[in-house]
Formats: sequence, structure tokens, C-alpha cells
Amino acid sequence: MAEFVRVASVDAIADPGKSVFEVDDQVVVVFHVDGQFSCLDDVCTHDDGPLGEGRLEGCTIACPRHGAKFDIRTGAALTMPATRATVCHEVKVEDGAVWVRLRS
Amino acid sequence: MGVTAVTDTAKFNASALDELIAKRQEPAWLVDLRRAAFETFCEKAMPSRKEEEWMRTDIRTFHLDKFDLPAELTEIPADLPSGLLTEGVDLGGRLVSYNSRTVSSELSEELKAQGVIFGSFSEVLASHPEIVRKHFAHAVDPHFDKFSAMHAAFFTTGQVLYVPRGVVVKKPLHALSLLGAGGVDLGHTLVILDEGAEATMLNETASIDESAPGLHCGAIELFVHPRARLRYINLQNWGHGVWHFAHQKGIVERDAHIQWTIGALGSKLSKVNQHVALAGVGAESEVNGVMFTEGRQHLSYHTLQHHEAPNCRSNFLYKTALQDRSRTVWRGMIKVDKDAQKTDGYQRNDNLLLTEHCRADSIPGLEIEADDVRCTHGATIGRVDEEQIFYAQCRGFTRKEAIRAIVIGFFQQVFDRIPVESVREALGKAIAVRVRDYE
Repeated sequence: MAEFVRVASVDAIADPGKSVFEVDDQVVVVFHVDGQFSCLDDVCTHDDGPLGEGRLEGCTIACPRHGAKFDIRTGAALTMPATRATVCHEVKVEDGAVWVRLRS
Repeated sequence: MGVTAVTDTAKFNASALDELIAKRQEPAWLVDLRRAAFETFCEKAMPSRKEEEWMRTDIRTFHLDKFDLPAELTEIPADLPSGLLTEGVDLGGRLVSYNSRTVSSELSEELKAQGVIFGSFSEVLASHPEIVRKHFAHAVDPHFDKFSAMHAAFFTTGQVLYVPRGVVVKKPLHALSLLGAGGVDLGHTLVILDEGAEATMLNETASIDESAPGLHCGAIELFVHPRARLRYINLQNWGHGVWHFAHQKGIVERDAHIQWTIGALGSKLSKVNQHVALAGVGAESEVNGVMFTEGRQHLSYHTLQHHEAPNCRSNFLYKTALQDRSRTVWRGMIKVDKDAQKTDGYQRNDNLLLTEHCRADSIPGLEIEADDVRCTHGATIGRVDEEQIFYAQCRGFTRKEAIRAIVIGFFQQVFDRIPVESVREALGKAIAVRVRDYE
């Protein structure tokens, strides 16, 4: 199983806000909304758009390429043109930092 | 901390270039070409997903600063692999390189007597500079992107094959490029068939360690002069830790013929531009592609059949099978110039998805400026038919055997187009061992 990797201090990501990190050879987006952190693959399952550059509205992120929306807490695809969830990774907050463990 | 653009190219710098040039003692024209390419390399940013060619290929986790220019070889590992393509084949010549350094070079006396030249880039540059100068960088543009520029500035080895006018080389020639862990291969392949010549070249790559990181940034240039016939087989079988960037182009002249087979099995991520220019009246090309991906591999091939002259025929067939969470991207184009009347162009890409989470993007395209042409293109993507598996299991196959048989059957159409038996067998075996059992 993958290990948890420290990506940032909790103060480094605004609330609401998001930031993109490289974790174990993958690029992910960490979201900070209403005091909660979550993490998704930085890729829209429709056409590989960069979710990390999309518009964050509440708990949804919209892909900048064609507007598909995903739930930042689960990765579920909420609107077309995306039909598949993007991968949602494990997140924990510990010792004032945000840690991510990749799901395969 | 966030993801930064890949711009740190610390080791591929001006002083490294100066040192390379000083060591190699090359002619002034090549030094100038390297320096111009280096300027382009410095000017151009790493490609990003905002660019059409890179929209579906994310290289943000590629860090060039983790790789170094190939060093002089102090030790060659014992028992270097011999490659997959040559079992049972009587070769006319053989070249092997390891981490961008040539380790062996052989050509039969019979072929030497016929004037055939087959050797490392450095050897042939020294012995036949005029042949190299006439062709080098005349097909692949060193200034196309950051990778082509990096290659042109820093390449150190490669293979050159020259077949003189009218000479028919019956025995295949084989070139093998190997990478060790962390190794870098910047090899340049230059194949020139003079008028009426014929030859078969087998070119393959492999890694000593299946999972170790590595980098290949290469180029292949194929010149098929009038009435010449080239069969070129290129098997990319790097380990799954290797980043593979390549620009490959064939120019086919009047009444000449190229049959170009590519096999793509390896690498962590591949971004390959494969172009064929039908540059003379009556030129013909047949391109066959066999790709199999697994794990989290990402293979992206951008192909072009460019009809520049009239009465040319191009036939293109790529077949890909994917498993696990692997990805392939194929962006194909048939481009027909205004003067290229009576063009006959065909392009097809078929994809077989073996698992739920793999993905194939297949995007054919046509750009036609002439008005008397026949151009056909098509793409298919589908899963393995469960009824076929059930049918096979009813007749005693295990599920895995059934899937394997279906996969081999899927590739049979392109295997039938490959004239070299050892290549067909090698590709078939290599794919068969990779197929796993899935519910």
C-alpha cells in the first residue's frame, strides 16, 4: 500500500481554495473547503482537462476545457460531458500538515 | 509547494554542449546545427497540455534534471540481451549500443564489397561525411519542439545505413539500443536507400532493468530514393520506467516503396511523431502498428501521411490492445496537398480494451486540398466480447487462454502485413505473455 506523503502545511491552501501537487509520480489537486481537505487526480475523465485550473464552486470543481463538474469530496462526475468519476485519494491532517495517500 | 513547469534542464546546458562538441571533433556544419538546435532548446518551453499535440499527454512529472548526458562507457555489462527480433534470422549486419554508446558494430564482407555502409553515426560521419551531410536533419526538423531540439543538440550515437544505387540487400540488418538504469539514449537513426536499392532493417530498443528510470529522446530519418524499397521494423521495448520522446520521418520518392512496421510495448510514457511524406509521383507507403499497453503506461502517437505528389498511395493500420489502467492516444492525419491528385490514402486504428479502466483516444483526421482523391479513415474501440470468451471456454479454453487467443486474433490482420517472420513471431510472443486474466 502507498504511504501518506506530506504535501503542504494546512495554512498553505486557502479556504476555499485548491492547489496542485506532485505525489509519488502523479499530479493531484488538494481542495480546502469549509475546513475540510480532499484530493482528486488532476485530470478530467472526459478529455484529460486539468481540474486544478478549473472553477471551484462550493464542493464542485468544473473542468476548464468543457465544463464537466466533479464532486471534490468523492471524485464523482456530476455533469456531462464527464460520465466517470475521477480518482479520489485519501487525505489526513496531522501535525499541522496535509498528507495524501494515493489510491490505485 | 506546487507542481512547477518542467524547465529545469541544468545538466543539458551550454557548457555541457561545449564539452560534447570539443570531444567529438565534428565538421563545422554539424557543430553549427547543434548550436542552432541548442538555442531552440533554450527558447522553447516544455510542452504543456494547452498545446494540441499534448492535450492528452501530461508530462509534468517528467524532470529532465534527473537525467544526465550520456557519459563515456567505463564498463559494459556482461550478457547484454540480444533483442527479440533476430531469433533464427541470418543477419547481414548488427549494431549494438548501450546508454548511447556503440558497443559493437558488424557488417558482412559481402555487403561491404557491394558498397553498403552500416555503422554507428560517428563511424559513418568520419568515413562518409558527404552522405551524412546530405541527409541528416533533412527529414526531422530539429526546431519542431523542445525534444527535437534537445536531440539535435546533444545526440551522441545512432545508426547509419546506406545502400548504393541498385543494390539489393537480402539479409536483414539489425540495430539494438539498450538502456541501463537511469540511462539516457539520444540515438539518431539514418537510413538511406539510393535509387533502386532494397533493404530490410530491424531496429529495436530494450532496457536492462524492466522498471528502472530512463530517458530516450531520439530521431529516425528514412530516405527512400526513387524506385527503392525499404522494409523498416522498429520495436520499442523500453522498460516501464523510461520516458520516450521521438520524432520519426520517412521520405518516399518517385515510384519508391516503404513498409514501416512499428511495435510499441514498453516505456512509461511515449510521445512519438511518426510521419511519412509521399514526395514523388507513384510513391507508396504501408505503415503497420502493433501496440500493447499495461499498468499505467501512456503511449501517444501522432502520425501523418503527407501526400505531396500525385498518384501516391498510403495505407496505415495501427492496432492497440490495452489492459490495467493504461492509456493510448492516437492522433492520425492524412494530408493531401493541392497538387497531389489521384491520391489513395487509407488510415485505420483499432483498439481493444481488456479492462474497465484503460482508455484509448483515437482521433483520425483528413486535410485535403486536391479534388480528385480517395481517402478513407476509420477508428474502432471496444471491449473483448464475452460471448467469444464463453464460446472458447465451452471448448476447453481457460478464460486466460481464451482472452489471449482473442487478442492474438485481433492483431492477426496487422501481423499478416508484416513480411518478416521473426518479427511476427516475436511480436506475437511478446504480446501473448503480457495478457492477463480478467473477470
